Amino acid sequence: MATVELKHISKVFSNAEKKANKNIPAEATHAVSDFNLKIADKEFVVLVGPSGCGKSTTLRMIAGLEEITDGELYIDDVQVNDMEPKDRDIAMVFQNYALYPHMTVFDNIAFPLKLRKTPKEEIKKRVEEVAQILDITEYLKRKPKKLSGGQRQRVAIGRAIVREPKVLLMDEPLSNLDAKLRNQMRAEIIALRDKINTTFVYVTHDQTEAMTLGDRIVIMKDGFIQQVASPQDAFDHPANIFVAGFIGAPAMNFFPAKLERVGDEYYVQVEKLRVKLADEKCAKLAAKNVASQDITLGVRPSHIRVDQGGDELQGTIEVSEMMGTEVHLHVKHNDNVVVIIVPVAGSYEKYSKYLKHDQKVGFSFDGEACHVFDAEGKNLEA
Amino acid sequence: MVRRQNKLSKVLLSIVMILFAIYAAFPIVWMLICSFKQNDYIFAWPPKIIDESFGLRTYVRVLTDPVKLRFFLNSYIVSAAVVVLTLIIGIMAAYAFSRFDFPLKKAVNSIIVSVQAIPQICLLIPYMGIIVALQLFNTYWALILTYLVMTLPYCILMMTGYFNTLSKELDDSVRIDGGSRFRALWGVLVPISTPALVSVGLYTFMTAWNEYLFALVLTQTTNMRTIPIGINLLITEHNYDWSMMMSMSVLGSLPILILFLFFQKYFISGMSSGAIKG
Repeated sequence: MATVELKHISKVFSNAEKKANKNIPAEATHAVSDFNLKIADKEFVVLVGPSGCGKSTTLRMIAGLEEITDGELYIDDVQVNDMEPKDRDIAMVFQNYALYPHMTVFDNIAFPLKLRKTPKEEIKKRVEEVAQILDITEYLKRKPKKLSGGQRQRVAIGRAIVREPKVLLMDEPLSNLDAKLRNQMRAEIIALRDKINTTFVYVTHDQTEAMTLGDRIVIMKDGFIQQVASPQDAFDHPANIFVAGFIGAPAMNFFPAKLERVGDEYYVQVEKLRVKLADEKCAKLAAKNVASQDITLGVRPSHIRVDQGGDELQGTIEVSEMMGTEVHLHVKHNDNVVVIIVPVAGSYEKYSKYLKHDQKVGFSFDGEACHVFDAEGKNLEA
Repeated sequence: MVRRQNKLSKVLLSIVMILFAIYAAFPIVWMLICSFKQNDYIFAWPPKIIDESFGLRTYVRVLTDPVKLRFFLNSYIVSAAVVVLTLIIGIMAAYAFSRFDFPLKKAVNSIIVSVQAIPQICLLIPYMGIIVALQLFNTYWALILTYLVMTLPYCILMMTGYFNTLSKELDDSVRIDGGSRFRALWGVLVPISTPALVSVGLYTFMTAWNEYLFALVLTQTTNMRTIPIGINLLITEHNYDWSMMMSMSVLGSLPILILFLFFQKYFISGMSSGAIKG
């Protein structure tokens, strides 16, 4: 149970560090730049971004495994910049499990307690409790190599939570598991969170994991924070084009467009299609006194409708993916591919004529669905 | 036709391999046979594998002679010390090479490798000078220190390579669980490196046990001599005690043979499987 605060944290890799760690790309020098974040007690924060964005480096700095070049790091209001990992009272779950192969599952989980000279009786009690929570009691006497990937990751989680750390750090813990197991473990981590009272910092490149697990998500790119928000907020109000494209699957579609101001009303024009932005959006833009300009328009695939008749945009279906309750259409529009999600549950026949390859299709969207980004990619509403 | 050709080539290959096996095994068999004979019977004509002198008499003579036993004791002391020191120093050096980056790392690494490339005879005179200057001439330390120079490079290279295959997340994990790097090395990395440690240990033991040149030059008195020198001492101006030489050679080969048999199973690697995803 603790708060974690990162103030102006930066990480610059020295040449020596780059040489020593092959995972660091040669061109990377500023791995993390001016990172500011306050994580509340018992909060679940997810750092998410593409590989090389600095999320793992940030986590390793919190853990004390990576030196902080600049800035201050506080755990429970105590500055820990120069504190050894073992003195920070944190625990970490690694992508590769990092189990000790010569020890049994019991000894693996008991290891941090033994290092802290916990009495034997207490160790036994706590290891058994943790094993019960994670449903691995029957494997306590086995060695890690006799376990499946999911079981190994559970042991790794057990080893992390057994000493009730202030902060639990997880570095892509589900990346090595297959899709089905990943979904199952994700649900288990959500359940685990209710059982143990601790602050979570979780790193992933998978936006679905970030959306489902986090109270707040921190979206990173090239070492910079792009947005800190609740999952819903990041989805509904992305701060910039990068966040808009990264959060949500399939990704948001972008069109070159014109924003036109008429009094306090705003219109977007893409080719012949002219759409009035929703009142709420107009109010925000008017309050910021946004002028008419060239913009990038973003629309989520689920917010695009097909075959409206009139001035809608035209395209050709390239790929049609049947997902069960919906169909994902990949529509070639000018030089772009626009993805449209068409719900088909119970009305497949209605849409079936659009689901064919090379079929011409018209599509449009409402003013509610429009996200407007300026030339630099910043959300004009934000 | 193809099958017959296959069969023929298999037979030919077997014959060639058997001939090589005989060629390789003959000196050992000859050594074994001679070690059970009396000296006068060894060159008897026609040669017999078992003759009237066949027995354990020479072995009894070796094992009851305090001077000969001292050779064995010296070899054991020197070899054991070299193995222990090589492994301790080598493991720590290899850990540093594997996990840290430091100034002149590449240069130091190259020097370590190049030591192995210099013919030992070239190092004899310099070492002699150093050992005498350190007043270690004719002591165990004279041999232990010079043998370390021969064994450490191999140990460091092998163990660096092995540690490189072990995930750094293991070290990180120990440090977060509450241990030090020292603990990560000796508590986790070393126990799972048994296959590499066994092969390095055996190589080190063999090097120290069999070494002749430095043992001859850096020791002087009979009570400091090791087995290879002890065997050679049996060749005198007037007398070649072949049976004694052979029985000492057999006794001298036994420890290595036993070590090989005992540690064979550890050569099968796989101790580290399960540590990380794989």
